[in-house]
Amino acid sequence: MATLVLDNGAGSAKVGFSTDKEPKIIPNCVMKAKNVRTRIFIGDQIDECKDLSSLYYLLPFQKGYLVNWDIERQVWDHMFGKDCCKVDFNETTLVVTEPCLNFQSIQEAMTEVLFEEYQFKAIYRCNAPHLSQYKYSKKDSQNQQCTLLVDSGYSFTHLVPFCKGKKLRDAVCRLNVGGKVLTNHLKEVISYRQLMVMDETYVVNQMKEDVCYVSANFTQDMNIARRKGAENTIMREYVLPDFSHIKRGYVRQKDDPTDKTEGYEQTIRMNNERFAVPELLFHPSDVGIQEMGIPEAITHVLSKVDEELHPHLLTNIVLTGGNCHLPGFQDRVYQGVRSLASDEYDVATFLPPNPMTYAWEGGCLLSQDPQFHKMVLTRQDYDEQGLAYSLEQFDVS
Amino acid sequence: MAEKRESGRVKNAEQKRVLDEMSRRRRQRKALEALESDNFSEDPHADLKMSKKAPKFEEAIDANGAGKKKRKSRGDFKQRYRKTFAALLEEEQMLNKEGPTYFSACVPPSKLPERHFCACGARFCCVKCLGTHQDTRCLKWTA
Repeated sequence: MATLVLDNGAGSAKVGFSTDKEPKIIPNCVMKAKNVRTRIFIGDQIDECKDLSSLYYLLPFQKGYLVNWDIERQVWDHMFGKDCCKVDFNETTLVVTEPCLNFQSIQEAMTEVLFEEYQFKAIYRCNAPHLSQYKYSKKDSQNQQCTLLVDSGYSFTHLVPFCKGKKLRDAVCRLNVGGKVLTNHLKEVISYRQLMVMDETYVVNQMKEDVCYVSANFTQDMNIARRKGAENTIMREYVLPDFSHIKRGYVRQKDDPTDKTEGYEQTIRMNNERFAVPELLFHPSDVGIQEMGIPEAITHVLSKVDEELHPHLLTNIVLTGGNCHLPGFQDRVYQGVRSLASDEYDVATFLPPNPMTYAWEGGCLLSQDPQFHKMVLTRQDYDEQGLAYSLEQFDVS
Repeated sequence: MAEKRESGRVKNAEQKRVLDEMSRRRRQRKALEALESDNFSEDPHADLKMSKKAPKFEEAIDANGAGKKKRKSRGDFKQRYRKTFAALLEEEQMLNKEGPTYFSACVPPSKLPERHFCACGARFCCVKCLGTHQDTRCLKWTA
């Protein structure tokens, strides 16, 4: 019997069978292109779209929670269907993630949709950090009992401490800063300073992924960014796509003889934007979000758990989610936590090779656990025992 | 003589609008909402009349789901689960009285002092930048 693992993120869904090497990463949304009026683009169908300017997004998630089922079902129909995963529902167990502290009624809807509409044979619902923690404790650590999981995704960043595989529920914390806020902020900044790009979410998000980084020394980088000419080592010229000659944005390499486009294309100067935007993860108050940044929030989580656990959690900080791909992220978290934590304790962070798909990998590993078949909820159980029973089987809230 | 000397800059500054606390807060809230928004412009296909075969979108989830045709197989599902984030959150607060909640899980404000930047990246960088701010009446980073 097959097991499909779906890390159902608000930004992108990571989906694939437990036997696959890596998941498909599918935008969890439906898009409309300004210049393509004959069709819509569901999830990764966007790869078929040649003009990615002014995309209009329909998202199933709001503030990190699944609220629009019409859209989610369109994406899932495509994802499970013949063009993508070709799921044989009657013979498939689904491992699916939900956000931390998911609302009761969303959990109900989820259970109902998966069993009644898609007719999965069995399901296993959990939080993504649970799967990451599972993988970390089994594969990437030396028999560690504790994990402090940082999951920095599209809508928000969660900090989840675990002890002996169990989530310390009362100490789970959330910062309302994620990749979406970063991209939106970058759009605002560029639109104010240089060029109106408020409608170019797709392009600006790509630009963010191409040139943004987390600064190791914010003040120093600010000073460098103020310099002119060659002394400014931060400045990059980003060539925007025009979707006729230039299919994708890129950083202009100085004196690149193969770059023949010079002079005709639109460019954006990326200077302090490169690091001031990701800085929001560390200083949300820079844009008026009155919340702690990630390192400070980590110490806040510690203040909510038994002090005995502090040294174990501090040496097992695991960084997952798309924002961890930002260069410099790991060093900055380490630096920040190191400077705040007691000097009696060691601090160590772990950045998986692919922080975005780590939870998915954990789901695959979990499905091979000898006990896995006992953890799932079958459709038969659901039919016989009802919804209330079905909800109690999983610890998602 | 001293009172006759005046600076154009100071004089100008007096004409500048000073926001009261309420408007500042409103502005701040709007700025935060903008950071959450999915799209800046309206649906570019809003004027299209979808044919019956074309997939339909109902992006505005109206809380009661009234007036929408439902597919038979989906039964009353939509009715029960068609709720906005705000409605779901309210419902969750009613159901979940103990243990951590959406609100309690949010990290508190930082203990570190706030940093202030203008559009150029620094609070005061140069007179030229100040000019841009005044010309555009930029309030983004003042609120």
